[in-house]
Amino acid sequence: MSAIFESLPGIEVPVGAISGHLAKLWTTDRADGEAPADPEGARATQLNVVMHFGLNTTPEDAAAQFRVISAFSKRYPSRIVVLCPLRADVAATELRAKVFGECHIGKSKSDKRCVEFVMLSYSRSARPFLESAVSVCLSTDLPLYYWAHSFSTSGGLADYRFLLGRSKRVLIDSARSPADALGFPWPNASALRDLVYSRLLPVRQGIGQFLSVYPPALLVEGLRAVTIQHAAALVAESRVVSNWLSRRLAACGADPARVNFVAATRPAELRAGLVVSFDYTTSGRFFRWTGDFAEGQALFEADFGSGRTTLAAATSLLNPENALSEAMFF
Amino acid sequence: MSDSPRHPFLHGLSKHRGAPPTVVVIFGASGDLTARKLIPAVYNLSIDGLLPADFYLVGYGRKPIPDEEFRTLAAGAIKEFSRRELDADAWGRVAANTSYVAGGYDERPAFDRLAAHLAAIEKKLGRDVQRLFYISTPPSVFGPILQNLGASGLAAKHLGRPHHAKVIIEKPFGKDLTSARELNTTIRSVFAEHQVYRIDHYLGKETVQDLLVQRFANAIFEPLWNRNFIDSVQITVAEEVGVGTRGGYYEESGCLRDMIQNHTMQLLALTAMEPPGSLDAEAIRDEKVKVLKAIQPLTIGPAGDVARAQYAGGMVVGKPVPGYLEEDGIAVQSGTETYAAMRLSINNWRWQGVPFYLRSGKRMARRVSEIAINFRRPPGTLFAGETARFDLAGNTLSFQIQPDEGLSLILNAKVPGLETRTQPVKMSFRYATTFGSNTAEAYERLVLDAMVGDGTLFIRGDEAEASWKLCTPVLDYWRSVGRTGMDSYAAGSWGPPSADALLSKQQHIWRQP
Repeated sequence: MSAIFESLPGIEVPVGAISGHLAKLWTTDRADGEAPADPEGARATQLNVVMHFGLNTTPEDAAAQFRVISAFSKRYPSRIVVLCPLRADVAATELRAKVFGECHIGKSKSDKRCVEFVMLSYSRSARPFLESAVSVCLSTDLPLYYWAHSFSTSGGLADYRFLLGRSKRVLIDSARSPADALGFPWPNASALRDLVYSRLLPVRQGIGQFLSVYPPALLVEGLRAVTIQHAAALVAESRVVSNWLSRRLAACGADPARVNFVAATRPAELRAGLVVSFDYTTSGRFFRWTGDFAEGQALFEADFGSGRTTLAAATSLLNPENALSEAMFF
Repeated sequence: MSDSPRHPFLHGLSKHRGAPPTVVVIFGASGDLTARKLIPAVYNLSIDGLLPADFYLVGYGRKPIPDEEFRTLAAGAIKEFSRRELDADAWGRVAANTSYVAGGYDERPAFDRLAAHLAAIEKKLGRDVQRLFYISTPPSVFGPILQNLGASGLAAKHLGRPHHAKVIIEKPFGKDLTSARELNTTIRSVFAEHQVYRIDHYLGKETVQDLLVQRFANAIFEPLWNRNFIDSVQITVAEEVGVGTRGGYYEESGCLRDMIQNHTMQLLALTAMEPPGSLDAEAIRDEKVKVLKAIQPLTIGPAGDVARAQYAGGMVVGKPVPGYLEEDGIAVQSGTETYAAMRLSINNWRWQGVPFYLRSGKRMARRVSEIAINFRRPPGTLFAGETARFDLAGNTLSFQIQPDEGLSLILNAKVPGLETRTQPVKMSFRYATTFGSNTAEAYERLVLDAMVGDGTLFIRGDEAEASWKLCTPVLDYWRSVGRTGMDSYAAGSWGPPSADALLSKQQHIWRQP
């Protein structure tokens, strides 16, 4: 039995009858014997999402990620195919399916968005047939997005060439992926998006807006070190911010060879956050951004030669469903 | 569009996430629009994380209001009018940077006080701050406000840099061609055109913006978008409400000024314009001006291109309502129209011979704004003759701007069965079903666009003048003839007989959307 598959909602159906059962989800049996009504007008699927759980996914984690994709679907009505590997593998070639649907009611009568889920459980020996099984579950002609969650090896994931090659975006979370995932030669590498980068949008926006007031040359003049301190749980976030700053500062004219990038774990006082500091050769010039995600507060402190500026602001990491849409559409 | 290349630190962020430090000053801060639209817009932008960290809001008005009271009033406005409920933390962050300055609109020293207040904010921050002035007052004080913004140096602040001062001006933008030109002259004596954002909130509606996408991003429409395939176009902006408590204002305005000259003409321009060379603000506005200038001058007078009417007593949503002349604040012999309709011809290669019918009115059968494109019928050789079997409709593509935003297409289909019978069917796309209805309101988009310096969804000075040039002779004629030719229609109906007559010459009829 697949514990992941069992932890997700839905009605188990024969794999060969998925389409028929999906259609039946939206029909109602009428007492008068007339043809059942299909509220087609209430459904408008925008996109297909394949959510592929890796072997590292626990049932609890799968349920949590399912809630994320469900929240995402309130904004973007989707056909979602969830792929669940058998954690305790069986020798047989086994493919099982469940279907599930839900509607989100908005403010008005016409504001009713519905989402359809197909859950597929598969054994290791069924892997070669999985992509074909997925293809008949997708809504024809709509764009495909692929979210690989907590997969164990990049090489193993690379077997799914149809999904990786056809998807408009391939989403991974580098905080929960193999170390080589971001640099792996995927079939469609330009479609790859890191959810860590997306989660950091408010940080990139906050720092970017703040620094964009200053001339680029001023930001890099005499810059000798960029330090990113991070809470223990934010190693991936620290790495992504560091890479982002490196690219942005280079675009401002910084010589990467002359700027020292340092990442360090921050002691306990920063429970859930990051501190970004720029150090300059000129005395008194500095920039520091301190973000505490638990408190939702950020503090900008800077002096680029024209006096000290201090600014308090809100900050956060993007919530998971918004990080998904950011990674998919922007 | 921003007038300088993007800063490297804004790379990878959408333009709406790159607003510079900004202080928004609202003139008319205790007014209805401020409470209903502007304060909720600022609040929702804050919730969406689209305001810069260093954002300030300053209310300006004649009435002395302490800062704390202004913040309380603003919170009340959010509770009553925002699309999202008031979140104390989110509002608290905006409220902490919200203040109020009292002063007359023609009182120069008060503008000096305002300038000092804004300079103090800038000094406290230690950084340049963009000034965005929102003039949300009666038009009678547009001139004094603009002149004082110039005299106090506020209009020229940071000129030549991306965060230069900007001004948003609410409608009505003049009351005729002469006054629009005078207002433009006043504006240009103080602000450069790229600093000016004349607002028509219709342009901030998602469905209006979608019109450009539908037209130019779908290969199936553009080849058909011309005189060879389109028979006529109908643009309707209908209101269910009467004049209510706005009788005094409406008596001076009327339907042509209030709705046709701005909203309806904007819809026409977007429907009929040529493809712009780019999505750049000036490229789009250039094309809108071109098509407005290509509209043939109207024939005015009996059997001309224009109809006007006032609503008489009737029933709206099942309740009896009084006629316009019985409403509060309306003159017994009022010559103000509550309904206007026009038949327009566009003299260019694309539209020669295609009538554009525009109508707007109060107390109509339902609140609806739509653009309906009526296509020519195919040669009727195959399915002709047996009208009982072959029920055929013209193909109509309708863009519903509000409510139930979306679009629909009428097609003819075979009715299932052994016998070949046809029937019109409707294919629909509804925004709410696909994207949800809790999307940003027009004012959120427009305020943010102005903050980031994008004028695409605002009206340029020459655009406003081109529209007034068409409408002013009608207004002059109506004024000269008093009530002569004023038709009437029952409240709750679709308009007067004289409007039907505009279409009957070409065997067209008004839609009842």
